[in-house]
Amino acid sequence: MQWKLFADLAEAAGERTVAVDVDDDASVGDALEALLAAKPALRDRALNEDGELRGDVNLLKNGENVDADATVAAGDELALFPPVSGG
Amino acid sequence: MSDLSLDATQLDRYSRHIILDDVGPEGQKRLLEGSALVVGAGGLGAPVIQYLAAAGVGRLGIVDDDVVERSNLQRQVIHRDADVGRPKAESAEEFVADLNPDIEVEAMERRIAPEEARNLVADYDVVVDCTDNFPTRYMLNDACQIEGVPLCHGAIYKFEGQITTLSPDGPCYRCLFPEAPEPGTVPDCATTGVLGVLPGTVGCLQATEAVKVLLGLGETLTGRLLFYDARELSFETVPYQRNPDCPVCGDDGIDDLAGVDYDGGCGVASD
Repeated sequence: MQWKLFADLAEAAGERTVAVDVDDDASVGDALEALLAAKPALRDRALNEDGELRGDVNLLKNGENVDADATVAAGDELALFPPVSGG
Repeated sequence: MSDLSLDATQLDRYSRHIILDDVGPEGQKRLLEGSALVVGAGGLGAPVIQYLAAAGVGRLGIVDDDVVERSNLQRQVIHRDADVGRPKAESAEEFVADLNPDIEVEAMERRIAPEEARNLVADYDVVVDCTDNFPTRYMLNDACQIEGVPLCHGAIYKFEGQITTLSPDGPCYRCLFPEAPEPGTVPDCATTGVLGVLPGTVGCLQATEAVKVLLGLGETLTGRLLFYDARELSFETVPYQRNPDCPVCGDDGIDDLAGVDYDGGCGVASD
C-alpha cells in the first residue's frame, strides 16, 4: 500500500509518497510502523513520547478516518496530514 | 419584482451575474444585502476581498492588525508598493472603495479578542478565515459554531493549501483537527517561504465558497477537506465526519469561549 504525506510531514520523510509492504493480516498501525521504519526521520514528528500518533497528525485510509487497529490491504492508500496555518 | 431595487449602474456592473439563471437579479440582490467578515487581509484575504467586493457583497468587515511590508507584495495583491507601512485593514478598505462604491467596509485594525469574537461573527452572514495563526483559527471556528455562522476556511504551507467550509450543523474544524500543533512547531510563511500565487488560488476557492453560501447555491465543502498541491497541480478531496464528542460542536459542546486557552494550544477546559 502507499502512504501519502502532506506539508511538513512530507518534508520530515523526504518524500511525498512512500510504498510499504506489510503482512496480509496487518493493521493500519503496522503500516504506520513500516512507514516509520522506512522513514525514521518522520518518527519524532508523527509520534508523541508515548509512541502514539500526535494529536495534530491526521491519518486516513482511502479518505476515511480509521483507528490504528483497522485492517489494511494491498492497494489501500493511507494518508498522514497536519493542519497548516499560513495565510 | 426585486430587480427593481437594482439601479441602472448596478444592472450594468453585475449584468454577468444577473443573466446567470442560478443567480439572476434575486441572487445579486442577496449578495448586495449580504455581509462577510474577512479575517486577515494578507495572502488569502487579498483575493477574497477582491472577489467579494467585485461580486457586490454589500457589507465587508476586514480585520487585520498588521501593517503592509514590502515582503508581502509578492502575494498580497490588494496592497501596493506605496502602501508599505500602512495598516493592512486601511489599505484593504481603500482598495475596495476604489473597486466598487456599492460596498460598505468596516475596517478593524486589531487582532480579534476572545471576548468580542462571538458578537463580531454574529454580525455577518458568513466569515472567511484568512488568518495566519492557529489561535485565531480555532477561535473563529468556536465562535462561528456557537453563533451558527458559516466559516470558509483556507490555510497554506509553501506549495500546498487546505480548504473546507464549516457549517453551523458541523462538522467543525475541531472535528477535523482536534488539537492545534504545539505553538512554534508549524512554521509560518515568513520562516518557510510561500509560492506567491498559492494564496491566490486558495483564497479564490474560499471566495467561491463564501459566494455560494450567500447565494445558497450548489454544494459547499461542508464535511470535505480539499487539498491543493501547486507543484503537482493536483486537487484531492477527503470526507470527514462530525465528532459526537467534539468539545465545541459535539453533544455537550461549549456555549461560550471563556474556558478555551487560545494562547496555549487552544484546548477546551472540561467542566
